[in-house]
Amino acid sequence: MKRRQGWLFFIIFLLTLSVYLLINYPLQLGLDLQGGSQLTLQIIKEEGKVTGDELEAVNSVIDRRVNNLGVSESNLQTLGGDQLILELPGEQNPLVASRVLGKTALLEFRTQKKGTSTDLKNLQLQRLSIKELIEKYSIEEKNQNNDNFLKVIQDDLKGIEQELNYSSTSNDFYGKLIEIKKYVDKEITNLFIKTDLSGKDLINAGRRQEQTNSNWEVLLTFSNSGGEKFAEITKSIAGTNQLLAIIIDGESISEASVGNQFTSTGITGGSATISGNFSAENARELEVQLKGGSLPLPIEIVETNTIGALLGSKNILKSLYAAISGLIFVGIFMIFNYRILGFVSVLSLVLYGFFNLALYSLIPVTLTLPGISGLILSIGMAVDANILIFERIREELYDGNTLSRAIDSGFQRANSSIVDGHITTLLSCFVLFLLGTNFVKGFAATLGIGVLISLFTSLNCSKTILRFFTTYQSLRQKNLYLPKNNFSN
Amino acid sequence: MKYNLELIKNKRKIFSFSTFLILLSLLGILYSTFNTSYKKPINLGMDFIGGNELRIERVCEEECSNLSPDSVLENLREISTNKNFINNIKLQFQNNNKLISIRTPYLSIEESNNLITNLDNIIGPLNYESKDSRLIGPKLGKRLLTNCVTSLLVSLFAISLYITIRFDKKYALFALLALFHDLLIVFGIFSWLGIILSVEVNSLFAVSLLTIAGYSVNDTVVIFDRIRENLKSNEEGYNETIQLSVNESFRRTTFTSITTLIPLLSIILFGSYSLFWFSLALSLGIIVGSYSSILLAPSLLLKD
Repeated sequence: MKRRQGWLFFIIFLLTLSVYLLINYPLQLGLDLQGGSQLTLQIIKEEGKVTGDELEAVNSVIDRRVNNLGVSESNLQTLGGDQLILELPGEQNPLVASRVLGKTALLEFRTQKKGTSTDLKNLQLQRLSIKELIEKYSIEEKNQNNDNFLKVIQDDLKGIEQELNYSSTSNDFYGKLIEIKKYVDKEITNLFIKTDLSGKDLINAGRRQEQTNSNWEVLLTFSNSGGEKFAEITKSIAGTNQLLAIIIDGESISEASVGNQFTSTGITGGSATISGNFSAENARELEVQLKGGSLPLPIEIVETNTIGALLGSKNILKSLYAAISGLIFVGIFMIFNYRILGFVSVLSLVLYGFFNLALYSLIPVTLTLPGISGLILSIGMAVDANILIFERIREELYDGNTLSRAIDSGFQRANSSIVDGHITTLLSCFVLFLLGTNFVKGFAATLGIGVLISLFTSLNCSKTILRFFTTYQSLRQKNLYLPKNNFSN
Repeated sequence: MKYNLELIKNKRKIFSFSTFLILLSLLGILYSTFNTSYKKPINLGMDFIGGNELRIERVCEEECSNLSPDSVLENLREISTNKNFINNIKLQFQNNNKLISIRTPYLSIEESNNLITNLDNIIGPLNYESKDSRLIGPKLGKRLLTNCVTSLLVSLFAISLYITIRFDKKYALFALLALFHDLLIVFGIFSWLGIILSVEVNSLFAVSLLTIAGYSVNDTVVIFDRIRENLKSNEEGYNETIQLSVNESFRRTTFTSITTLIPLLSIILFGSYSLFWFSLALSLGIIVGSYSSILLAPSLLLKD
């Protein structure tokens, strides 16, 4: 008797604890329930596997970039050794993130090769005209471009291609323009020689609007040794015709001359500016990339998921309907078939729901749509064990056993099949959790936790509640445990 | 109420019915492999082959005007510079013309944004708060596919190992046969759904197969447990004991299937769209699984 009471108090204690946990530690909702973007980033390595160190290095660079972007509550996780998953909650456009994250942002400073002035001037002119074409094109596209205009810039493009002796491969017109711009940037880069100053010598980056026009420029701050290197390099080319190029990811962003006045000391003070006709947005993106450092390996964005906030809240509501109606109908079915026993199983199902959710907030499990379906499915499976036990109890009652005997042996004899049955489901969950992708993991986690908790609630809670009921004389009549039409059997 | 399934008498009928279902499934799989545009045993969705899926709602006052997908595509073709990809677009209006659903081959994030802007120009305004957009690269898709197949194989192996240890080899073999029977039939049904309704399977389908595997074995194990127990106190003949055990567990098995089906039906009826086919696959699996646990697997144990 005392032991039974002990269990009853323990269950009440667990219930109180669960309610406390749920109030104080709210459930974490996945992006499909609150809206937001999720990006999967794939680290690209030509040969061999991505090592743990490399993964960590990429992770920290991406993390810094995301933080510098100012996205709040973002979440970055590694997956499967060579992938990263970035979650940006709230309705956020993945476009900006993709532009900022996808670039390696390898910063280099190079000095011009001697005798390349004519080539350089020529290429710079071409670059300027392509930039103009790109600008014209994007303005015109917004205003629904007409075919006439397209023909004009198509001709211009052909001219440029002929002069460069290069033909683009892209099918898309805009793609062609971008491809040629990249080609020119790379050709310019080839006219310069590497120096030992690089992005590693940078300690900070910033941006500001130029005073003379509305363009933006990016400010670089070097470390002490970087500042010395910079002074050295600028000193060596000051007053000559050679230019200094600032190159990011192998493409020259800007080329600058160093004035006569720096021939004795070079440019000191440890800072430099890049003025490359940046728009406010471009300047900010470059700033973020430089601040975060360059990626040790290139990455590619292989998956994006964007879900609007409204759709997210609709999803929550739908899942709630599904869960509650599932619970109610299962409850009705159970009470109809097993009477008091059914009522007991409904009580232990409610406990099951609370324990489950409390555990989610404790671990914590991020609830996603597949996760919720795992939870709802496990409601059905949680009843499974109860049914096994109740059927046994009924058989014992039909055999003419007393109620308490029937209850005891019902629970005892059903044990082995319950455990056997649950283990196969747990095995599947375990494999899914190990090998599955993000979304699949959510399902495996909730179903697995559900199965474990249902073992406790159906074996222990049901028994305790049932024992508690049978202490009351009025609840001990056999016909309360068997459907009337079957009782005569 | 005692149940009286005449297992011994109907053994042949049960075997023929299962054979019929299996042949039908194989037929669907073969047809799908050789006579469809995708040339796969089952219509793989963008999770596995990569692509772009966009669902977005229009903002309309009261009722959304009726638009034909063809005219929208025609407009898109005029605006877009990449003519090639427009030819591979699938566009549908659902939910009284309110919901636009678009499938294209893989696009970059920029191209996808471009597509949305163009759409907004043609049939806007669009409600960006109710946007559901997914882009998945072809390489990742391939990886997901191998991942799913591996997890299926690994867990099937783990389940086989477990029941071989817990039961003797004959029981384990028949439980596994029933399991493959269930998986094959669900797979076959989705092959047919792919052929007839162009239903595509995604990674959640693989999850449903795995869950079905766990559930199906669970069901069979409970009945085998009962058979083994009854055989120990062997009062009647071997075949009769098996039939009796099945009838004794009949209520339990149908009831657990019903209580599992009820929540799944609520997901189908009330749940989010993305879970519809997933819940359907699970429901089918549970129905086929109960049939094979009650009728097929015990019949395999019967002696002539």
